[in-house]
Amino acid sequence: MSLALKPAVVLERSTPMSGAVELVVHHPPAAAALRPGQFFQLAVAAPQTILRRPYSAAWADPDSGRIGFIFNVVGAGSGWLAVRHEGHELDLLGPLGRGFDLDGSKPAIIVAGGLGVAVFPGVVGALVARGRQVTVLLGARTSAQLLPSGRFPGAEVMTATDDGTAGYQGSVVDLMPVALGRFPPPQGEGRGGGPEIFACGPTPMMQALLEKSRRLGVPLGLIQVSLETPMGCGVGTCLGCAIARPGDGYLLTCLDGPCVRADRIDWSRTADAFHG
Amino acid sequence: MAEQPDLSVHLGRGLRLRSPVMVASGTFGYGFDAPLVDRTALGAIVTKGTTPRAREGNAPTRIAETPSGMLNAIGLQNPGVDHVARIYAPMWAAWDVPVIVNVAGDAVDDYVGVARRLDGVAGVAGLELNISCPNIANGLQFGIDPRPAAQLTTAVRAVTRLPLLVKLTPNVTDIVAVGRAVEDAGGDRRSSPAAGVVAGKRWTQWAGDQATRAACGVAAVCCTQHPGCRHRRDHDGGRRPGVLAGRRGGGPAGNRELRAAAGRPRGPGRDRKLPRRARS
Repeated sequence: MSLALKPAVVLERSTPMSGAVELVVHHPPAAAALRPGQFFQLAVAAPQTILRRPYSAAWADPDSGRIGFIFNVVGAGSGWLAVRHEGHELDLLGPLGRGFDLDGSKPAIIVAGGLGVAVFPGVVGALVARGRQVTVLLGARTSAQLLPSGRFPGAEVMTATDDGTAGYQGSVVDLMPVALGRFPPPQGEGRGGGPEIFACGPTPMMQALLEKSRRLGVPLGLIQVSLETPMGCGVGTCLGCAIARPGDGYLLTCLDGPCVRADRIDWSRTADAFHG
Repeated sequence: MAEQPDLSVHLGRGLRLRSPVMVASGTFGYGFDAPLVDRTALGAIVTKGTTPRAREGNAPTRIAETPSGMLNAIGLQNPGVDHVARIYAPMWAAWDVPVIVNVAGDAVDDYVGVARRLDGVAGVAGLELNISCPNIANGLQFGIDPRPAAQLTTAVRAVTRLPLLVKLTPNVTDIVAVGRAVEDAGGDRRSSPAAGVVAGKRWTQWAGDQATRAACGVAAVCCTQHPGCRHRRDHDGGRRPGVLAGRRGGGPAGNRELRAAAGRPRGPGRDRKLPRRARS
């Protein structure tokens, strides 16, 4: 495991969409080591916090040594991060965990709900660079909370909003039949045929996506998800980020994920970690 | 360079540590994880609690942050003693820091079995009896009463020549009595009391209440879905909240507390002005 232990330096802070913050930091070794979908443990100096915070990198550019993080403010840790600015140092540990498996040549469909989009700019860039056809399905509550489609060059972007202020009115999952309909259907179980799906979003969206996939005949093995669970150490020691696997037992989000194929998770035993 | 003071500690039966600093069981896995700490800077490594057979551990959520640490209820997830003896111990044997295996179980036979399996295994420098785990059913049964604590120690002492530490729980009225009992029964040292885990759960209970109250909004819905919610009292004719009360040592119940607390992993009274986590 290669672990970046020297601090990164914050280069920029911006607001990529309503309610979200994007921090760009400079750390050439980490930027070079990152595979799309991996995460870092960021040390935050907010009062009365003790654990590092896990954040998937939104993107990284090995040439310039830059790494982007997109997040919203949900608590003390992200609140502290959100007020970093140019010149501040950021103590990061990583890259950690497993990124997405981007090999193969199938067309790719990205399903991103809310802040789940934060992991995908780098993923889409890497897929496009591999010559794969990419469709990005973006969902948010309202148009202002959508990451601009310009962040996905080379991909086709379709949007859905709960309030209908942009694109389709309703769940992003409802766009799947349209996106899937352009390709030959999957050939039964296994990983043959049909496009591959990459998903990240709140647990209810993920549950809806899996249910929709079953109905559409998309094998779970063709779906990769980026998991979000409470996490302690991020390096496999504390065993705190367990998530149920089929049969008995658990995977660890930090070591076995955060990116896994959906057939490796027992979704019926996976509660919404953050929303009850 | 200033003269280095001698910090070495002798724990009995030839177990000498170069310093008294040990990692507590569960904070360092089996010593193979990310190389963030120089192992040789430690007096000893104490492993994750080890049971006769592999255990999968508790259902999530397993952890909750507090303002000064982290509460956990992992539930003794471990690969079982045979794996530890066959795979891990030979690697420990090459290390220049002693490794003490934390031994756990549900019954005397479990502890005895683990101790017997590890006796004479190269790489195992000592045993620590875990009689203080609040995170599994009956995890405290040996730790809160001098007599079963002593009986367990005697039984394990009889099957191993290894240095034997006994990890006491602080959640007793007279810890000295339990400590004396296990020492008389053949324990070489009383090791670190479980650092306030059970006491800490009272905080978790408070946090869980806050979380469930904050999360629910509608009392009628909350009362069926969030056992810790105080609204339950209003609707259940004044009964106390059912799940959180009186389950301090309770394995799965403990995890429900953590699950509730993890929904808002922050300390009391802070961050009220920060927006809630987005729901989409």
